[in-house]
Amino acid sequence: MTWWLLTFSRGGPARYLSHLDTTRALQRAFARAGIPLALSQGMRPKPCIALPLPLPVGAAGRHELAVVEVVADGPGPATALAQLRAAAPAGLEPLAVMPVGERHPRPQPRLAEYSCVIDGEAGTLVAAVERYASEDHVIRERVSPKGRRTLDLKEYVVGASAQATAGGAKLSFAIRHSATGAARPQDYVDLIAEWAGVEPVMCSLDRVHVTWEDLPRAEVSRAEGVDPRDNVQEGDDR
Amino acid sequence: MLSYPDVYEIGISNPALQILYTYLNDATPAAAERAYCPWPDMAAEMRASGVPLWTLETMSPVAGCDLWGFTLPHELAFTNVLEMLDLAGVPLHAAERGEADPIVLGGGPAVADPWPVAAFFDAFFVGEVEERLDAIVAALAAPTRGQRLEALEGIPGMWVPGLSTRPAERQVFMGFSTAPPVTRPVVPVLEAVHDRAVVEVMRGCCAGCRFCQAGMWYRPVRERSVDLVVETARKLLDETGCDEVSLLSLSSCDYSGIEAALTRIRGLRPGTRVSLPSLRIDGAASSLARFAAEQRGSVTLAPEAGTQRLRDAINKGVDEEQFEEAVRATFSGGFTGLKLYFMIGLPDETDDDVAGIARMVETALGLAKEIGRGRVRLSISVSSYIPKPHTPYELEPFAGAESLRRRQQLLRTALPRHVRVAFHDVDASLVEASLARGGRGSDRLVEEAWRRGARFDGWSEHFDLGAWQGAAAALDVELGEPVFLAEGRPDWEAVVDARLAPAFLEDELARSRRGELTADCRDAACSACGVCADGVTMEILA
Repeated sequence: MTWWLLTFSRGGPARYLSHLDTTRALQRAFARAGIPLALSQGMRPKPCIALPLPLPVGAAGRHELAVVEVVADGPGPATALAQLRAAAPAGLEPLAVMPVGERHPRPQPRLAEYSCVIDGEAGTLVAAVERYASEDHVIRERVSPKGRRTLDLKEYVVGASAQATAGGAKLSFAIRHSATGAARPQDYVDLIAEWAGVEPVMCSLDRVHVTWEDLPRAEVSRAEGVDPRDNVQEGDDR
Repeated sequence: MLSYPDVYEIGISNPALQILYTYLNDATPAAAERAYCPWPDMAAEMRASGVPLWTLETMSPVAGCDLWGFTLPHELAFTNVLEMLDLAGVPLHAAERGEADPIVLGGGPAVADPWPVAAFFDAFFVGEVEERLDAIVAALAAPTRGQRLEALEGIPGMWVPGLSTRPAERQVFMGFSTAPPVTRPVVPVLEAVHDRAVVEVMRGCCAGCRFCQAGMWYRPVRERSVDLVVETARKLLDETGCDEVSLLSLSSCDYSGIEAALTRIRGLRPGTRVSLPSLRIDGAASSLARFAAEQRGSVTLAPEAGTQRLRDAINKGVDEEQFEEAVRATFSGGFTGLKLYFMIGLPDETDDDVAGIARMVETALGLAKEIGRGRVRLSISVSSYIPKPHTPYELEPFAGAESLRRRQQLLRTALPRHVRVAFHDVDASLVEASLARGGRGSDRLVEEAWRRGARFDGWSEHFDLGAWQGAAAALDVELGEPVFLAEGRPDWEAVVDARLAPAFLEDELARSRRGELTADCRDAACSACGVCADGVTMEILA
């Protein structure tokens, strides 16, 4: 058995898939491509595939990461990537494959960068983002079926900026992932919408980059046209 | 345009639509696309924004297609047909449609009695359509709407309201055994209700259960060879990427090659699971229950009734010994989960028959203890029996809400507390009972209920009894009783010929009252149901 890191993008209609549906769609792409995944042990063996940083429903991702365990006698990374690209459903595009050692720790997300366009009066939206930058603490409460959680967005959402567009503003921000958890991108977008007095609508959220901890250095098989400088598998400290 | 009148997650699992979609796109000049019924919140947004129903493939307005085919699975989906027509901007009534509107065609099991939706469809196809698809596509080439309908009316199995003067004869696809099955189905990227590869191993069932409309409707039995089934499974696994295969039929444990097919399919690829539908309890069920247990699948047995007397009456000739053997096989195979299917409200049912269900459950629990499986998960599903057309019980009375509720309570009290029991919603059964045997004009009830907000009636969170009660009151009919059903011979006989001999249905009803079994015609003499004639015959593996 060996494990690989697969970089893929999610966009188009596939942005509306849930985390589990995205995982299942990739798993089936591996099966259609003739690349057998290793099976977990236990009562009901499952293919070994994990997406360490789930994308929210409605969000696109330019360089997402999947960790898969493949059986040793399958095709090599370059062949596998070509077969995967042919077998993947619309909106999920495999970009690169990196085989990594069995004992290497699984990569953990450190920083995820996002952008989104939000409708409204540009000046008000930019002012809301500037207000966020000037605050020391922004306490928000999130209510979910698991209960209430209070968090200080300033601990997690960094590098926020805004750029005026035709009908609103393009927000850029990053979310820091730590041992205490992380904020959700929607927490920040809802906050800015609230401060700007606009309806929090479904926005075109785009995860543009993720910085990973424990990302191994290894040879990468890339699809043609994929820019190595913008490949999360290279790992950098942005 | 092909539609299933429910949400995508349900509709994409319908194998009939996959067959039609594949054939139309691969083997005819037609281009088939799909649309499903949007969930109510989506429908509200579409209406608010003026967005008409669109196709999934090209996002074209559905109203622009030449023919819109609906597969009608059951009565509780009827209001969704109106919802989809309305969202598409297609006039609800066939009589109001013009040259620019699509021809709306209905098919599927619920056209056994098309009257409850007759006003909304231009035509109905009765039976298995595979061999008639070329003719249907060709009929659409006629220059005017009237000529297209006339051409459709000339196709065997078609009933065109207002044009047809004789009942449509149910069509039987005699090429089923050898025709290439679907091996490149549409694969959903979001989780469907049946999220697995499907191989149809057999069509039809001759077990002769007297309550079962499908058992009467899809006769005779036609089996596919084990080689074809296994090869189809292999291709499906390769093409879909699924890791589970479902062997589909009305009664897969009766498929002659079931054990060979199961063994060979499981060997196709490591980790491949084969799901089995509910098992009729007979000799084969024991080994199949053991098979399912070995692969950690779920085991579902369907005794249907709680006493030998009632099981004999409905021709479910399962005895206590066979039941115990199947339960033993399940638990001794290592699995601790078992689900049992029962019905209440069957003709001539007594309280003792209902109490018998609890006794069978206690027997199963006792066997689990005996085998050493103390911590078993036992659940039972209890549905309400609705008399259906083209069955021996087609004119028997519906049990009624009061009786069903009382018997549900009786069973609840009699069952051990830790046994999970799921009952069919009695209110929904009332609607189903009214429409399953609806007479001429019963489409008014469906339309009135839809106008009062009824849709997604098969979903408990959306079922609106008030809408149906209001509609029934407005039309002065009683829910639970067949709506506008004429005296004498039932209305559906005038439009649908199911190929069943009337004498067979009468005889089966008489035998039911006497508690006499009728043997499966695969194993014994012909039961003279009338289906096997004019080239229609059983096709059983040697």
